[in-house]
Amino acid sequence: MATDTDIAPAPTETDHHDHPAHLQHHFVSSEQQFDSAKLGMWLFLITEILLFSAMFVAYAVYRQWHPETFVAASETLNVTMGTINTIVLLTSSLTVALSIHYIQKDEVKKCIYNLGATLVLAGGFMVIKYFEYTSKFEHGAYPGGMFDPHGGHYAQLADVPFASQFFSIYFVMTGIHGLHVIIGMAVIGWVAVRAWMGSFSSEYYTPVELTGLYWHLVDIVWIFLFPMLYLI
Amino acid sequence: MSTDTQNTAVAQPDEHEEGENYLNHETSVWSWLSTKDHKRIGVLYCVTLALVFLAAGVLALVMRAELSGPGETMMANDTYNQVFSMHGIMMVFLFLVPSIPAILGNFVLPMQIGAKDVAFPRLNLASWYVYLAGATLTIMALLWGGVDTGWTFYTPYSKTTGGGVLWMTSAIFVAGFANIFTGLNFIVTIHKMRAPGMTWNRLPLFVWGMYATSIVQVLATPVIGITMVLLILEQVLQIGIFDPSLGGDPVLFQHFFWFYSHPAVYIMILPAFGIMSELIATFSRSRIFGYRAIALSSVAIAMLGFLVWGHHMFVSGQSVVSSIVFSLITYLIGIPSGIKVFNWVATLYKGSIWLQTPMIYALSFLFLFSIGGFTGIMVGVLSVDVHLHDTYYIVSHFHYVMMGGTVVALLGGMHYWWPKITGRMYNETLGKIAAFLIFVGFNLTFFPQLVLGAKGMPRRYATYADRFTELHQLSTAGSGVLGVGLFLVLGYALWSLKYGEKAPANPWGAATLEWTNVAALPDPHNFKRTPLITRGPYDFHLADEVFGGGDGEADGDQGLRVPDAAPAAPLEPSRDA
Amino acid sequence: MSDDGHHILPKATLLKVFGGLIFLTVLTVAVAYVPLGPLAVPVAIGIAATKATLVVLYFMALRYDNPVNALTFTIGIIMVMVFITFTMIDTAFRGDMGNVDRQTMGEIEREQEAAQQQQEQIPSEQLRVAPADYPDDRGADAGAASGDGDS
Repeated sequence: MATDTDIAPAPTETDHHDHPAHLQHHFVSSEQQFDSAKLGMWLFLITEILLFSAMFVAYAVYRQWHPETFVAASETLNVTMGTINTIVLLTSSLTVALSIHYIQKDEVKKCIYNLGATLVLAGGFMVIKYFEYTSKFEHGAYPGGMFDPHGGHYAQLADVPFASQFFSIYFVMTGIHGLHVIIGMAVIGWVAVRAWMGSFSSEYYTPVELTGLYWHLVDIVWIFLFPMLYLI
Repeated sequence: MSTDTQNTAVAQPDEHEEGENYLNHETSVWSWLSTKDHKRIGVLYCVTLALVFLAAGVLALVMRAELSGPGETMMANDTYNQVFSMHGIMMVFLFLVPSIPAILGNFVLPMQIGAKDVAFPRLNLASWYVYLAGATLTIMALLWGGVDTGWTFYTPYSKTTGGGVLWMTSAIFVAGFANIFTGLNFIVTIHKMRAPGMTWNRLPLFVWGMYATSIVQVLATPVIGITMVLLILEQVLQIGIFDPSLGGDPVLFQHFFWFYSHPAVYIMILPAFGIMSELIATFSRSRIFGYRAIALSSVAIAMLGFLVWGHHMFVSGQSVVSSIVFSLITYLIGIPSGIKVFNWVATLYKGSIWLQTPMIYALSFLFLFSIGGFTGIMVGVLSVDVHLHDTYYIVSHFHYVMMGGTVVALLGGMHYWWPKITGRMYNETLGKIAAFLIFVGFNLTFFPQLVLGAKGMPRRYATYADRFTELHQLSTAGSGVLGVGLFLVLGYALWSLKYGEKAPANPWGAATLEWTNVAALPDPHNFKRTPLITRGPYDFHLADEVFGGGDGEADGDQGLRVPDAAPAAPLEPSRDA
Repeated sequence: MSDDGHHILPKATLLKVFGGLIFLTVLTVAVAYVPLGPLAVPVAIGIAATKATLVVLYFMALRYDNPVNALTFTIGIIMVMVFITFTMIDTAFRGDMGNVDRQTMGEIEREQEAAQQQQEQIPSEQLRVAPADYPDDRGADAGAASGDGDS
């Protein structure tokens, strides 16, 4: 993870009195370090976007070839749960944006509360996801080769050709997205602990800001996944 | 703030030859394994990649030996399949893609822009460890039965063969991150870490080449990562995206694969363009012709390179409409490439050419890359490619680009920066002999393959029809000459480490910062004082500004006029974003 | 500290944007139950794109950020578009070379054989049109060839 490795403050080599503790020796100023970290993070984000792009291409191609299948298969997904999850994730985006807002104003406590709220919401997202997954597994809606739908409204999919492709794409996309949520939770937890230890202030809050950017990207991916998989 | 720019007391360039430098200020093994110094990471990569190149190169010689006769000469067909697959995978993913950025980019780039280090030194070290993890997985693939899919892993074959494929795809997934880290690091470094006065128009062209490369690395590499993940899932979970027996589409895999692997060709060749510009300007002692055109054509190639991947799939069953579109855009790539070649030749014109070994490599590159480029235009023609696809013509074409282009430029660059990396000079006579052997051997190996391909010899076969025998034997003989040349380079390089003559700070009289403002062996923090850049990197024509004083005053040894150092930047950081 | 990297977004703005996002989420779910026919996909993707734009501009503060970050992000998005578009140029027209299944290849061969047989029935003299079609040496064929040439 770019966020973990490149921005933690290094032990300074020179003991100069106006040298901030977080400034690494090869940077001239905090400003330069902050700008570099942020550009690095945006570059990392576009690698993430391109990572997901291949799955979007797969979705687009199979939808183009088998539109009826995708309509039929997406009707078996639980729109209520999907909508709730969307709102949960959007709210978590708000809380993480607020945490940056508060750290910029030096209100460390409020920042930590908001990071904590983000963690709770992310956990909630994963729990809902877990129930969605298990309800599908119960009816044999596995990805690809193990696809064997039975029971409930899944039974009708047995006669729909290429329905297994939809579920492959569904599980791969949401699975990799879920993996990003879990990684995000770990990073947010780490940032919250460091904020608790007093590492951040309005002078230095780069890790909070970068984690926020990452979390918003996870949110954006879901913003697209939700209508693609659940609604259309 | 003022002392941030000069951390430790360091040797003044040219004054204390035996002073502290990046090699001797710490010497323990752990200091190397935990180093965050971009120069040391470059050296670590250099040693690792040399080993990979050696292994993959020996495999190539073994293949040529097998092809010395039409029948089965020394190995079974299956073994041959594994040998060419390993040669391709190691050369492409583990050697060529990281090669120039990881070795020379790491070593030279921060010095050329006047920075103390890359923007994220820890990420840089992480890149090397991730690369090692990828290399380890490659070895695991060998232990698990090897890979015989070729370096392209086309489905559905890659799904049905050998346990090694799973390990190898993981290896490529992991090694991809090493490239992403390097590319990301360089983009940020070039944007944010330039010394005062180092404007975009004063960046050395090697830096421009690295910049374009890094853009491609960051944008393309994630796609090969996810493609490999999907391929693994296809094998493990049967997800049926690529496997036609499950309703998938194997051509979709090729789209995913080539969306990375065609831009990867530019990851390999763009840094070579950068080295070429340095070598040609320095050794013809003239200002590079069309600086802006060369710089921007690199970026243009990087961008256009994303629009042409389908030309690898003309006979794969993709639609003819897209074949035509891809073929048309492929021609466009010829334009920026041609701009570069013309500009280099124009730089040579009326230059005062100094035929040292790096320059010989540069001239070889011009010749070999032109052949590689022209044959590339030919196979970009839709109808011609239908005939030449999967023949030795293609093999020869990409070896002219990848080996005649990238490897020759890398060799030129290694010779050029060898004095800066090791503080020693290599043996010039042996260097010239080796460069000559490599040029002759290369052409002897690969030119007959163009003819073979045009006559219909398919690639990836251990045996062939009798009528191809003479040309194949010529090619095998050439590979021997090529091998001798490369081993000669290895030999005198190692020899020079201990016995080579001590190098001066600027043996070539070059005008870029790593030569003018850095000691013979660089200081751990590169510069004693951050330089202030007041001129372009190749402004040899502005003699007073570059060399200092009037005509003929500042002559160095060998009658070589060595450019003046750039002045130190004022102590207050004067950068405003 | 300069303003471009450290713009503090007012809480009110964040809450307004959040309200907009929730509204659009409800809207997209509601619209999904309206039979729009072929418009369903573009409408859903359009709403999602609007939401994503809101997140990028305000939550990620790209609107107030250094332009180079915006450029980076834009290039990333353009590449995704390129990837999707060019792949779909292929998949939309797949098979425009005609059916290349193995069965029909056999049929094509049989057709070609039939055509060839038909062609062989045409006397070879009728097919001679260019001087190159005539043998160079004036041997046994010379009389017949010159006879054709005259007529």
